[in-house]
Amino acid sequence: MNTRLRHLLGRIFIYAVLTAGAVVMAFPFYWMIATSVKSPQEAQQAAPIWFPERIQPANWRTAWRLGAEGDRPWWGGFAPGRTVTLHLRVEDPGAGRPRARVPKPPAVFSDPRSESTRIRIEPAEGGWKIVLENAGTQRFTTLPLVVWIPKDAGKFRAELPPDAVRSQRGYWRLEWVNVSPGLFGYLFHNYREAWHAAPFARYFFVSFFTAGTQVLGGLIIATMAAFAFARIRFPGREAVFLLFVATMMIPGEVLLIPNYILLAKLGWLDTFYALIVPWLASVFGIFLLRQFFLSLPQDLFDAARIDGASYWGMLWRIAFPLAVPGLVTYGIFAFLGAYNALLWPLIVTQSPEMRTIQVGLQAFIGEAGSDYGQLMAASTMAILPIVLGYFFAQRHFIQGIARSGIK
Amino acid sequence: MRTYAFPGLLALAVFSGLLHLSTQYQIVRAPMGALFLAFALAGPAAAYAAARVLPGGVVTWAGLGLFAAAMAAGVWLPPALDALALVGVFLAYAGSRDRLPERDAAAFWGWVFVWPALALMLIWNIFPSFFALWISLFDRFNFIGESRFVGLLNYEILWRDPLFWRALSNTFWYVVLTVPTGILLGTVVAVLLNERIRGLGLYRTIYFLPYITALTAAAAVWQWIYHPEFGFLNWLLGTPGLDWLHTPDGIFALALAPLGVQLSGFWAGPSVAFTAIMIMTVWHFLGYNVVILLAGLQSIPAQYYEAAELDGAGWWQMQRHITWPLLSPTTFFLAIIGLIGAFQVFTQVYVMTPTGGVLNDTLTVAMYLYNKGFRDSDFSYASALAVTMFVIILVLTLIQRRVLERRVTYEH
Repeated sequence: MNTRLRHLLGRIFIYAVLTAGAVVMAFPFYWMIATSVKSPQEAQQAAPIWFPERIQPANWRTAWRLGAEGDRPWWGGFAPGRTVTLHLRVEDPGAGRPRARVPKPPAVFSDPRSESTRIRIEPAEGGWKIVLENAGTQRFTTLPLVVWIPKDAGKFRAELPPDAVRSQRGYWRLEWVNVSPGLFGYLFHNYREAWHAAPFARYFFVSFFTAGTQVLGGLIIATMAAFAFARIRFPGREAVFLLFVATMMIPGEVLLIPNYILLAKLGWLDTFYALIVPWLASVFGIFLLRQFFLSLPQDLFDAARIDGASYWGMLWRIAFPLAVPGLVTYGIFAFLGAYNALLWPLIVTQSPEMRTIQVGLQAFIGEAGSDYGQLMAASTMAILPIVLGYFFAQRHFIQGIARSGIK
Repeated sequence: MRTYAFPGLLALAVFSGLLHLSTQYQIVRAPMGALFLAFALAGPAAAYAAARVLPGGVVTWAGLGLFAAAMAAGVWLPPALDALALVGVFLAYAGSRDRLPERDAAAFWGWVFVWPALALMLIWNIFPSFFALWISLFDRFNFIGESRFVGLLNYEILWRDPLFWRALSNTFWYVVLTVPTGILLGTVVAVLLNERIRGLGLYRTIYFLPYITALTAAAAVWQWIYHPEFGFLNWLLGTPGLDWLHTPDGIFALALAPLGVQLSGFWAGPSVAFTAIMIMTVWHFLGYNVVILLAGLQSIPAQYYEAAELDGAGWWQMQRHITWPLLSPTTFFLAIIGLIGAFQVFTQVYVMTPTGGVLNDTLTVAMYLYNKGFRDSDFSYASALAVTMFVIILVLTLIQRRVLERRVTYEH
């Protein structure tokens, strides 16, 4: 075999292995996003549906038009006085007129949406059209619909694919969660439902506030300590440094219970203090920044000292700006750690208002039950900020992680 | 200098005042809100006095000891601390005016800079470690009832606790199976990525992305993939109805059963459910290993490969005799980090099998600790568990160092 052929085969092998691995690695993401736009009936199929109805652009225009008819083209709705028309093709219109109803939520005595919607079913070309008119004075965000088509009518095709089709005696029962969705309302139905099912906005706020404060406070504290260890000769430096090294041996689990007790005694349980304060000082961050400060030339600081700069000034004016790469690394690590943590916030918070996004998601997994579309939508929302951050600062992420491995 | 110090201290004072007000009017649910500030400022004050008056920082250590003692006894002295904080403000101001001789200035600023970190470490890391050891010597220490000193009783119970051994053997299999698999797969991917290929950035992103996604969300997704009825994996493997996360049979026992070998207990290996969790974990952490190993690979000088190529070495020989030994410090680092991290596994297990699985087949030590401490409110027993865990990790790390480090090639 000649060398060129061998080289080519080697290349093909490398790409094949890497691509196969990449498919396995990326699949859970695809599966999460695909499921997040599925209706429950689509999700619960024996054979997986690779391209759900909601991501097929052919349906987007209908969703847009129906949303515009109901209220707004992007997010849909059903405003007073508006009329939404849904076309329904059937093979044999002579088999009988379909029936339609706006379903009431279960166990509700009176539902204004169901009662103030006037439904007319008129013959149209190739089938029927269902005209829904909001005769009331209230605006609704969604317009669910149930339609029964006689089975004798043969094949049928609704303009907007129904979310579920069931068999009910002599009829096909077609169910829509929203026939006036608008483009985004259609595509992101599960996201909207999940967002309203649990206080995700609050969860995000708690997470961002906690992680942001930890990063900012941690950066200041770590910079100061690292500078002192690297560049100031003070009595007791070696002893304190040794103490810091020793704390690296302690696994986090050992601290769970004593810190919980301490927080309880301080009255800090279920507050932001409990989420933030115990994690402000990070030995990892101090070591990382100390390495940075040690790599700067001592002459720089000697010259500054002789020129009358104080230690405070040297820290913030000379060392700090030169350590920006290290600060970014530590910032990314601290943010990731705080944002992705589950165990600690799970222990120190009780009320839903103090849940971070991970604890909220964990609770939602228990509550959402079998609605995997909503669950995957919530999971996607939870990882979205970090993934977006990664795409904006890819280089820093990779360099930061790589740097953590080099002593 | 004054341009920084004065506004800074003023801001601190205002902050302190606001904190007091907010606790007064119960805006913040934190009666001890001002305590931290006080402690943070008392430190520099003590440090200043130490540097100024006494050699060796005697005052500092005395103050620390007093504070630690007060904390251990559960006695809080907020008014005194507030006063101390005020003294601290004045002294810090005096120190910040740069009227000190060089040695004192270094001592003063060194302590001022190191103090916030040191105070936080003392309160949240160092003191609690000893406290954990201390409460593990009590009988059912919690907020509800009285507890009494029982010595090593908790450790004795732990030694005979079948659930603890179950959790420990589960964790053992988890460490033994995930850490080497992760490093091996990571090395393969990193070596291939290092072969000057096109689209490196894209591949690296795809392999790295799982690592930055939160374990909670990732576990939810994998739970869905493993779903017995509608899960993707059962469709792919053609095993409808197989309930991955609720199958307690050990994988070694299952694999060897057709050969007529009967295994039970520890030797049956991790359950199918736990193996499913391990697969998810390897997927999650692979990107981290890849990035670290890739950095290690890129630090190997190209001359070695060029020289080997001149001597007629093949691709495999170069990997075996150059890459592998020169990559060993990185591999060693990953092994240590992986061991410590894997021993503390909690999140994915808790999300995927909240009850610890069928017959506790996915119970890990960290999860058992969580259950004991925060479900059963037995802080002493949970602390005994934590201390045991610390000792085990320490011993394993030391063994790893002794055994593996000899094989590590540090020199290039």
